[in-house]
Amino acid sequence: MRLKDVIVGGAMTAAGILYLRMGNALPEKEGVDAATVPGILAWMMIALGLIELVGALRRPEVAGEASEATGATAGLLTVGLTLALIAGFIAALRPLGFPIATALYLFLQFLVLTPRSSRTPVPLYAGLALASAALIFVTFRYGFDLLLPAGPLVAWLN
Amino acid sequence: MFDLLIQGFVAVLSPQIFILMVAGVAVGIVFGAVPGLTAVMAIALCLPMTYGLGPAAGISLLIALFVGATSGGLISAILLKIPGTPSSIATTFDGGPMMEKGEGAKALGVGIVFSFLGTIASVAALAFIAPSLAKVALSFGPHEYFAIAVFSLTLIATLSSGSMAKGIFAGVLGFAVSTVGIAPVDATTRFTFGQVELNAGFSILTVLVGMFAVAEIIKVAETSRNPVTGAPPMLVKIKGFGFTMAEFVGQIPNAIRSALIGIGIGILPGIGAGTSNIIAYIAAKKRSKTPEQFGKGTIEGVVASETANNAGIGGAMIPLLTLGIPGDAVTAIMLGGLMIHGIQPGPMLFITQAPLVYTIFAALIVSAFLMLLLEFWGLRIFIRLLAIPKHILLPVILVLCAVGAFGLASRVFDIWTILAFGVLGFAFVKAGIPTAPFIIGFILGPMAETSFRRGLQLSRGDYMGFLTNPISGSFLALAVLSILWQTYSEFRASQRAAGAGLLKLGGED
Repeated sequence: MRLKDVIVGGAMTAAGILYLRMGNALPEKEGVDAATVPGILAWMMIALGLIELVGALRRPEVAGEASEATGATAGLLTVGLTLALIAGFIAALRPLGFPIATALYLFLQFLVLTPRSSRTPVPLYAGLALASAALIFVTFRYGFDLLLPAGPLVAWLN
Repeated sequence: MFDLLIQGFVAVLSPQIFILMVAGVAVGIVFGAVPGLTAVMAIALCLPMTYGLGPAAGISLLIALFVGATSGGLISAILLKIPGTPSSIATTFDGGPMMEKGEGAKALGVGIVFSFLGTIASVAALAFIAPSLAKVALSFGPHEYFAIAVFSLTLIATLSSGSMAKGIFAGVLGFAVSTVGIAPVDATTRFTFGQVELNAGFSILTVLVGMFAVAEIIKVAETSRNPVTGAPPMLVKIKGFGFTMAEFVGQIPNAIRSALIGIGIGILPGIGAGTSNIIAYIAAKKRSKTPEQFGKGTIEGVVASETANNAGIGGAMIPLLTLGIPGDAVTAIMLGGLMIHGIQPGPMLFITQAPLVYTIFAALIVSAFLMLLLEFWGLRIFIRLLAIPKHILLPVILVLCAVGAFGLASRVFDIWTILAFGVLGFAFVKAGIPTAPFIIGFILGPMAETSFRRGLQLSRGDYMGFLTNPISGSFLALAVLSILWQTYSEFRASQRAAGAGLLKLGGED
């Protein structure tokens, strides 16, 4: 039995069941209605999930899988930080405006992703973040008339 | 006809239009190359600039943007393994591995040359066989479209390297995601959770950017802190386009087949280059003498994808010009652009505004040459992208993706959507579920469902209507054969693996 594949098969089946329940909640009409295709798709998802699950339960575990999993968790912190930074960037777009939110996001993301073996050139990262944010904003705001949020800088930038 | 074509060339080679076209192709290449920015966006953003231009200049600029953006997608597909546009999805399958093997320049050169040839082939098709081909496409009804969609969906199994169940699941899930929003036919609101932003469903741009670009950034984040091992990519000098004449000649049959697929699919409204590049890739793999090399970095895969997607340009223009039916989102905006300039596409266009039609043909040909020259010149610059560390490049690309998503409807909601699909794409990578079938399911899902329900209405609820229609019946039979063949192939492969004592696991390379 391979634990990872069992989890994947289980998740596939669960996704199918959830979609089926959501599809069943749709208003019913006579004949083929808006719930028909979602219903067919949901049953396909459940069947494929079960096929994967049964296959995973029958497969023998591969040696070294557990140690692989331990190694993989090391990068999860960086993944978590990256997701938090992206979410923070999106949430800050309206209140802070595109230029400030982008400069902050880029600076912090550069720091988070820098390999441990390299030294961290903080002033360079700050300059790159500011220059990239300004260049992207100016190109799209003035070059293509795309109304990117300006935030507190609205009085100067619009 | 040739007199009109010469008149067209005289018009587009006038200094004003020519300069506009050079700028249009260059801007288009940048939009195509940057993930999140697409041909649709390039044309939509530049459309207002054409208001003050004459019809010939305005349309030539839009065509230059279209050609540049369709081809530009190959740059990020190869260098970053992120397709710049949906039409370059299959380019990542072999372009990415070629780049990792140190053959990035060669992959780019192959992609550029065959993009050019694909465009020229499609212009020839447009000019010579447009009216008759368009008539065939016009005769297709919902039964035929449903059958074509089902047949295309069954090809998903071919894209499922490893576990077929996971590949098909990805396609079904993509189809399921496409059901969000207002249902076809009866306009029932589905799976929107009261969010008005979801009424129109998810945009292909947000799904694509999330599943490929954002997922790639998260994937890089997972290993980016690890100490750098191995030598950095070398900026080798390249001669010409980076490949030999023998390699070029060897790819001609593949290119012809892919161009025919690209043109054929481009003509069918609603499918477009987003699908044709993947179908051409599958066809190339099936016909190849070395199918095992696909996905590991063979030029055959890049040739198939890039020839087919650019061949779709002329293909999509056929129903647009002859019938006024846009083949995809890009041509839908082009239709708007034509109408802004007082041009009403349709069969009468070839009679009432023949000189303008041939100006469009000339603009397509000139744009193809400009694309070849600008990308050849830019090849050295693109390769220099390899020298930029990924931990610097990818966050900047994420910001550009956010701009692209925001530009769809000026909503921050669309940026949240790309993040959500990014997490889903990363989960796919971790679970060993392939991403390409998800995209195919998402693209073809609405067409399949709409055609299914309309077809049933036409045949008054009789399912046999799909089988008794000769074209629809043939495609459905092909779909059944395709599934049986894939199941048999998978069964044989598993028997061989069991015999050799190997355990092959699902996953996307």
